[in-house]
Amino acid sequence: MMDNYRIRKIKDRLMRILLWSSLIIAMIPLFSILLDVFINGARAINIDFFLLPTPTVGEKGGIANAIQGTLITLGLASIIGVPIGIMSGIFLSEYHDSKLSQPVRFINDVLSGFPSIVVGIFGYVLIVSVIGFSVIAAAFSLAIIMIPIVTRTTEESLRMVPVAIREAALALGIRRWKTIIFIVLKGGRKGIVTGVLLALARIAGESAPVLVTMGYWRWWFSGLNRPASNLALNIYLFAISPFENWRTLAWGSALFLILMILGISILIRVLTRGKYE
Amino acid sequence: MMKMTRLIDAGLEQVKNILLRMGNIAHEAISTSLKGYIEGLSTYSEVQKISDILIITEEEANDKIFELIARFQPVASDLRLLKSCMKISYSLARYGRYALDISQIYEKIDGLALCEDWIRNHIIEMSEKVLKMIQISVELLNNRDINEARNLSEIEKQVDEMYFKYLDNLMDKPSTVNKCIISSVLVVRYLERIADHATYIGESIFYIVTGEKIILR
Amino acid sequence: MNRQKLEAELSYKFEIENLNAWFGSKQVLKNINMKIKEKAITAIIGPSGCGKTTLIRCLNRMHETVPDAKVTGRVLFNGVDVYGRDIDPVQIRRKIGMIFQKPNPFPMMSIYDNVAIGLKLNGVKDKRKVDSIVEKSLRMVGLWDEVKDELNKSGASLSGGQQQRLCIARALAVEPEVLLMDEPTSALDPISSAKIELLIRELAEDYTIIIVTHNMQQAARVSDYTAFLYLGELIEYGPTRQIFENPKNELTEKYLTGGFG
Repeated sequence: MMDNYRIRKIKDRLMRILLWSSLIIAMIPLFSILLDVFINGARAINIDFFLLPTPTVGEKGGIANAIQGTLITLGLASIIGVPIGIMSGIFLSEYHDSKLSQPVRFINDVLSGFPSIVVGIFGYVLIVSVIGFSVIAAAFSLAIIMIPIVTRTTEESLRMVPVAIREAALALGIRRWKTIIFIVLKGGRKGIVTGVLLALARIAGESAPVLVTMGYWRWWFSGLNRPASNLALNIYLFAISPFENWRTLAWGSALFLILMILGISILIRVLTRGKYE
Repeated sequence: MMKMTRLIDAGLEQVKNILLRMGNIAHEAISTSLKGYIEGLSTYSEVQKISDILIITEEEANDKIFELIARFQPVASDLRLLKSCMKISYSLARYGRYALDISQIYEKIDGLALCEDWIRNHIIEMSEKVLKMIQISVELLNNRDINEARNLSEIEKQVDEMYFKYLDNLMDKPSTVNKCIISSVLVVRYLERIADHATYIGESIFYIVTGEKIILR
Repeated sequence: MNRQKLEAELSYKFEIENLNAWFGSKQVLKNINMKIKEKAITAIIGPSGCGKTTLIRCLNRMHETVPDAKVTGRVLFNGVDVYGRDIDPVQIRRKIGMIFQKPNPFPMMSIYDNVAIGLKLNGVKDKRKVDSIVEKSLRMVGLWDEVKDELNKSGASLSGGQQQRLCIARALAVEPEVLLMDEPTSALDPISSAKIELLIRELAEDYTIIIVTHNMQQAARVSDYTAFLYLGELIEYGPTRQIFENPKNELTEKYLTGGFG
């Protein structure tokens, strides 16, 4: 008896050590990257960093134009992607007896697994070849990445709304579309907002599709049909440049982007917490 | 006869047993008092004890029935059974009361000692029929045989006839009022009442079994 | 003579004729025929899966909202077949309110909005009118005094019994003629249940009420007529007193006295 207990206790301890060390090994690269980005990025950050546009060689400058361009691109991508994503999500959740819903769900899953560069090339073929490198082309590509994420989270959060709620509305003599829009959607609101933020965080960090659709631009935003500066793309372009001040800006941009995504994640956390209260 | 598949069944069985016990005691009370009356023996104190037991047991039966109603809120056949059991327990308690009344008549007035033979025979015959009815009514508690319940009403009619016939006979014959006449008139009256209660029990059994309210009298 | 006959017919809110219902290939209601009295409480009892809930869901055409569900037969509501060719189920549902087993107030909606939403979404724009109907409905269910100072609080913040009364107020607000109740107290404690039962009795002054219940004693306490359903068939239907004191059918007797199984 006693021996058995001791052996079990030793096994338990060994297992625990194994799990802890795996965790630590997994965290080492993550934290070393974060540490690197913080140390190097912090050096780039000052008032000019937030107020000035991309500098020429050796001059003072910042990423203000990139922040502006990124926000505009993300905004446009959301305007295109969010309504389509939410509506597809509603379709999948509320009309799941439709013959179309199975194929739609399948295509959506395939789409969410697409390499982002392929999506970018799609945008290139469809738009860049017509109107040239532009915010529209980039936003379009990013929207395509957003759609499956928003669709999936919308569908799931609407599924979480109990059938009883839908039935209560129908039994009151409320039409189905009104029930969905004014009652079911209200119930799934938090989940949908979370999905949109999740998708935003994802596309904010995308550089490949932007690379092939946006083109290079180091000035302020000057129209949707023209390129604009972009944070994620800047990191790539600046980091491989031979100029010292650009490389510093690359670190700063990386830090800024990470903090932005972190901010969105925290927002998601705060929003979803209410669900379980 | 009833499977014990429900909680209420144990309680219904208890009620039935109380009623059976009452039935047997009541039968004993009436046969004792009638035997004493006919043969000229004092049975008052003995029958009084039995009658008291019956009154206490009736209370016991009613308490049990109320408990079952409160606990199980019975419906349908269970409800009819309990309602009928209350009525039956009352009738059984009445048996005891009438037995005591008969004993009291012997005590206070007299028995059949001074009576003419035809009176004596008439009362003995009536007593036998009434005792038979009581026996049937007590057996009904167990067998719930509705044919027997109907049979009770037949005998009750005979008892009724004998009762009126006896009164007619007395009025037809010019005779002086004596102890025999007074006591025998009272006794046939009680016998007639006992027969009524036996029939009530028959009606209750009929209601338990069929759900129909009928009047057998 | 003719007028009497007419009046007798008018006092039936529903006349159900040869009603059959299926889920997929499983038939859950078999040839139901019954007439339901106006402004009375009709209870539907029977063991689980006997089709009680399906029966009332056929009356307001909620049955067909489930995939694979099918109905045949006629349900005359005020003399008009709800399954008629030109009948809009949404219009039917506005006249026939429904209360569910579990209180289901709309989440993320205030107490006020829960009651008002049916009116608002059915096109009542006049704020004063909505206000007065909300108050009237909440008063009818005895909730007004309890919630009048916190109409903006979430409906989900109320207790279970209050939530169920809120759901009844929500149904009353669209001014139905009938209330269908699907085991309205099965998720509530005894005291809340008793309040709901009392409320049902009061509402029967103005509404036709059909209540499905697992609780036979509830049916006995609250209803005027009782229908016993077994395996999708209407076994016995009559005045509650007769059903509970002296059922004619042996199956009813067995079910009521707990002799099933």
